[in-house]
Amino acid sequence: MTFTQVIINSIVRASELTLLSLGLTIVYDILKFANFAHTEFAVVGVYLALFLNVTLGLPIIPAAIVASIVTGFASIALDRAVFKRMRRSSGIIVMVTSLGLGIALRNSIRAIWGADAKNYSVPLQAPIITEYFRITPLQIWIILVGVAAMFSFHLMLHHTMLGKAMRASSDNPELAQASGIATEKIITRVWFIAIAFASVGGILIGLETYILPYMGFAIIVPVFCATILGGIGNPYGAMLGALVLGFAENFGLYVNFGAILNLGGILGFSKELFIPTGYKPAISFIILILVLLIRPRGILGRKKEG
Amino acid sequence: MGLVNFLVYLAIMMGIYGILSLSLNLQYGFTGLANFGHVAFFCLGAYTSTRLVLVFKMPFIIGLLGAMVIAGLFGYVISIPTANLKEDYWAIATLAAAEVVRIFFLNEDWVVGGGPYQGGSFGIGGIPQPLRSLFSAYTYPFFYLAVVLVCLLATYVIINALTQSPFGRVIKSIRSGDNLPQALGKDVRAFRMKVMAIGGTFGGLAGCLWAHYHGFISPNQFLPLETFIVWAMVIVGGKANNKGAIVGAVVIMVFYNSTRFLKDYIPIEEVTLASLRMVVIGVLIVIAMIFMKEGLIKEKKTVY
Repeated sequence: MTFTQVIINSIVRASELTLLSLGLTIVYDILKFANFAHTEFAVVGVYLALFLNVTLGLPIIPAAIVASIVTGFASIALDRAVFKRMRRSSGIIVMVTSLGLGIALRNSIRAIWGADAKNYSVPLQAPIITEYFRITPLQIWIILVGVAAMFSFHLMLHHTMLGKAMRASSDNPELAQASGIATEKIITRVWFIAIAFASVGGILIGLETYILPYMGFAIIVPVFCATILGGIGNPYGAMLGALVLGFAENFGLYVNFGAILNLGGILGFSKELFIPTGYKPAISFIILILVLLIRPRGILGRKKEG
Repeated sequence: MGLVNFLVYLAIMMGIYGILSLSLNLQYGFTGLANFGHVAFFCLGAYTSTRLVLVFKMPFIIGLLGAMVIAGLFGYVISIPTANLKEDYWAIATLAAAEVVRIFFLNEDWVVGGGPYQGGSFGIGGIPQPLRSLFSAYTYPFFYLAVVLVCLLATYVIINALTQSPFGRVIKSIRSGDNLPQALGKDVRAFRMKVMAIGGTFGGLAGCLWAHYHGFISPNQFLPLETFIVWAMVIVGGKANNKGAIVGAVVIMVFYNSTRFLKDYIPIEEVTLASLRMVVIGVLIVIAMIFMKEGLIKEKKTVY
């Protein structure tokens, strides 16, 4: 694998993670709990898109858009049914509840669609192959959607009332609450945006690989890691975290740690030393633990909270 | 499977999960530590004991003690990066740690001796059952049940004594925020680490009992799912109440195992049934958290 190829893979991964970590971070910012059902919501969107795309024969782009909107509304409904009853409960109580909700969602999907891997019906597209890298049109789409998501988030944060309210709430939660900002209306919109974005992210992952009921759980740690890495509650941090993690996951397997240990021949460490591919899922876990050890507030985290 | 055999099996599972539930209850119920990676201790205990007994040919009791020591040490080590952090970080860090443990055993087949089709994703079989030769195939489960119940009783007595001691009062004060114990000059970080180590020790005990009962372990048995089942036990049974933790284990295990027979009566596929079972577990957690915060058996409030 060439160096350029690793960079492209990293950017694709970062784009997917961004879509998911942005939603996780804004829900945390407004509702002050870590939503362990976040990635499971995304999988609901993935399977709705599968239903529209394969069962009803809709092309993938309208199917993805409709599925993400429906999932966004579904999250509002579940918020009303579950989380609204616990607005005054402590973060840990709501977090455990979201874990239960996540288990219920994941297994409902497995009961309806079965445990086998599935695929969207999309026409095969020839990858663009050059001397240094190969990239599929889908991967270009993933990067474009990821960049568009970041840009629209930035615009939303700085040019809409909702964004203003969200920034106020993260700057000073008490003052924002006293000014009546964290109202139910804001919460509803935050859920919709967070889960619709997550659903798009999930669908892109499903397009690039395959669809499994378990995929939400497979990405929960990378998504949380990206979010915490950048500073939980901070949308820009979530973007940065996703980028760092995307690169770490891919470069972790590419770098010859033997050469680093060798320090240009000083130590005489001549063996090649790569992280075995079987440990790829462990990379994000280990980064997460390192981040918690060294800088628990994240790269862009504020000092105030601990 | 005869009814008696099934009931003995069920009772053994209740005992093993009862130990897990008691140890998670110490961490979550009493101390407020959201440990979403409890299965890591279970897994480590199972593999440590298998390594000691199967590969190093040590007696069962050494395997059992080794399992407890390694799992306890692991609990202590993973709480180093998290001991000063808020509960959200605990949850994800422990979840991640448990997955690292599972991925480790998935990749390193030498841990259980290696050999073709052994270790790694193949799992490892032929784990010796303690004192197996003294009993017939029919009477052995009864003996093992006795072993499990003795361990459960010991766990209950020790954790109960701990939670009623001054140590227990400190960890309960940690649950409602760091300010009070800190004002009293307690080292909150050290207490959290001790709780993780003690909880881990008993989690390891459960893992050892599991491995030697089934005689076969593989990384697939230690999915995060197991952690969530134990969480359901603690929440449904009643957090911060040791009797509640055991009641929770009994209730959830009866539900979990009795629904297996449903497929004999209604036409439903095994996979669908397994999924629906977990849907119920998830919904139970949600409902208990909203409507029944105290669980089946309420925490005893003591006024000093």
